[in-house]
Amino acid sequence: MNWFDCNCGFGVPAKPSGGVLPRAADLLDEMDFCGVHEGLVHHTAMQEESPQTANQLLLEEIRGEPRLHATWAILPPQTGELGTVDDFLAAMRKHAVRALWAHPEEHRYLLNAITFGSLLEEVAAHRIPLFVGPQWEMVTALLADFLDLTLVVAGHGSWGDDRFFRPLVERYPRLHLDTSNYQLAGGLADFVRKYGPDRLLYASGAPDLQMGAALLALAGSDIPSEAKEAIAGGNLRRLLEEERL
Amino acid sequence: MTNDSPIAGEFMETGQYRNCPVIDMHGHYGPFRGIYLPKPWADGMLEMMDRSGVCCIICSSHSSLVDPERGNREMAQVVADHPGRFYAYRTVNPNYPEQVKDEVARFSEDEGFVGFKFHPSGHSYPITGDNYVPALEYANEHRLLLLSHTWGSSEYDGPSLLGEVADRYANVTFLMGHSGYGEWEAALAVARERANVYLELTAASRVSGIITRMVREVGSEKIVFGTDLPWFDPHFGIGSVCFSRIADEDRHNILHRNAERLLAPFRARQEG
Repeated sequence: MNWFDCNCGFGVPAKPSGGVLPRAADLLDEMDFCGVHEGLVHHTAMQEESPQTANQLLLEEIRGEPRLHATWAILPPQTGELGTVDDFLAAMRKHAVRALWAHPEEHRYLLNAITFGSLLEEVAAHRIPLFVGPQWEMVTALLADFLDLTLVVAGHGSWGDDRFFRPLVERYPRLHLDTSNYQLAGGLADFVRKYGPDRLLYASGAPDLQMGAALLALAGSDIPSEAKEAIAGGNLRRLLEEERL
Repeated sequence: MTNDSPIAGEFMETGQYRNCPVIDMHGHYGPFRGIYLPKPWADGMLEMMDRSGVCCIICSSHSSLVDPERGNREMAQVVADHPGRFYAYRTVNPNYPEQVKDEVARFSEDEGFVGFKFHPSGHSYPITGDNYVPALEYANEHRLLLLSHTWGSSEYDGPSLLGEVADRYANVTFLMGHSGYGEWEAALAVARERANVYLELTAASRVSGIITRMVREVGSEKIVFGTDLPWFDPHFGIGSVCFSRIADEDRHNILHRNAERLLAPFRARQEG
């Protein structure tokens, strides 16, 4: 399978929970060990420090690495750290940044239309994937505000979030889910039987989560091989091709 | 893939490895707390086990965490219906001390029970409390296994509390469920310093690098595999073992050899 990890990163965390991948080269080494071809990557400092410094740090780290594709973190446009909405989108285009992350809890903002109206309207119109954590009330309100937003909920899972996300999957066609922590026994196969494979994106959650866990969970699941191919990387490649930036 | 482990390679290729019959030392049974579990019953669990090469599982039913008398009876029936595939822990609820004594008295009545299950956090009762003593004394006398939920910094079942109890009951083999998740340094020290304490991998296995660290600091002979099935997909945990930076001998120890050694007396008794 042609694995494309939609949620992986590197950097030095303040409080490491397990393994640490300090540099891009360390992430690539782990990807090679597990047989993962490409990664949509973030830098630990984007969440722990600040987007205005770490977004640039990420670009410097992955320069010249064709297997690693950049993401940036957003901040509310009112305070201007990342420039105007137009400046920000132009910079994304210039540096081939393929997707965005929002960390509303850590960065102390509300991820909604009042705070992000103009930016998220552009993000939705350009079909730029936006990654967020499994804060389901916020996700529900956000999707209601931005019907066309390509939203990827990352890291959901270990205690069974299906009752949160299944109603949203049924209502919002551009909602996607990463598989980094979707450990539910039989969950992948059950979801694919009901909704098909198109809304799931393989992710490792590295460096916090063990890269091989979600890998074997998908490889060994009871779903057709073409569905596995789609989840392993095909769906993410399709989303990135749909991007209009 | 630069991981040259034959175990990892065959699991990725076929979903299982013929020379590595996995034993799951931490299972449950049935639905729980209204959470959606697609495969909560024996047929679904066996389907998941067969698909991932898990030969047997040792469970406490979810019902037993609420009402041990009803749940342990349910588990005894599952074990009787599926000999060799399901074994069981007898759960006690320390909030009902008289029932603890009843469950201990009933221990020998059912086939296939290998020890006790404690869930101190779930019952909000410390593992060091007096109400667990009848079960601990019985387990010590009969050299049983004891799987306890443990969690980092918990006032009920933090790793050091389990260590205290393990020091008092040297004949009991303690399986530290979830390996004291999050309080890794203390959990690893408790297992390293005591012959009768093992690390158990449910949930812990997903943390990157932790299995490699356990093997380096404690040794693969003191680690057993678990999944909380029907919660977690066995492949998720097996994938963590396969793609940790350890040797295949360590993978064999973790996935089945240590469990085979721990279960041998009970299997012999059952066969005898």
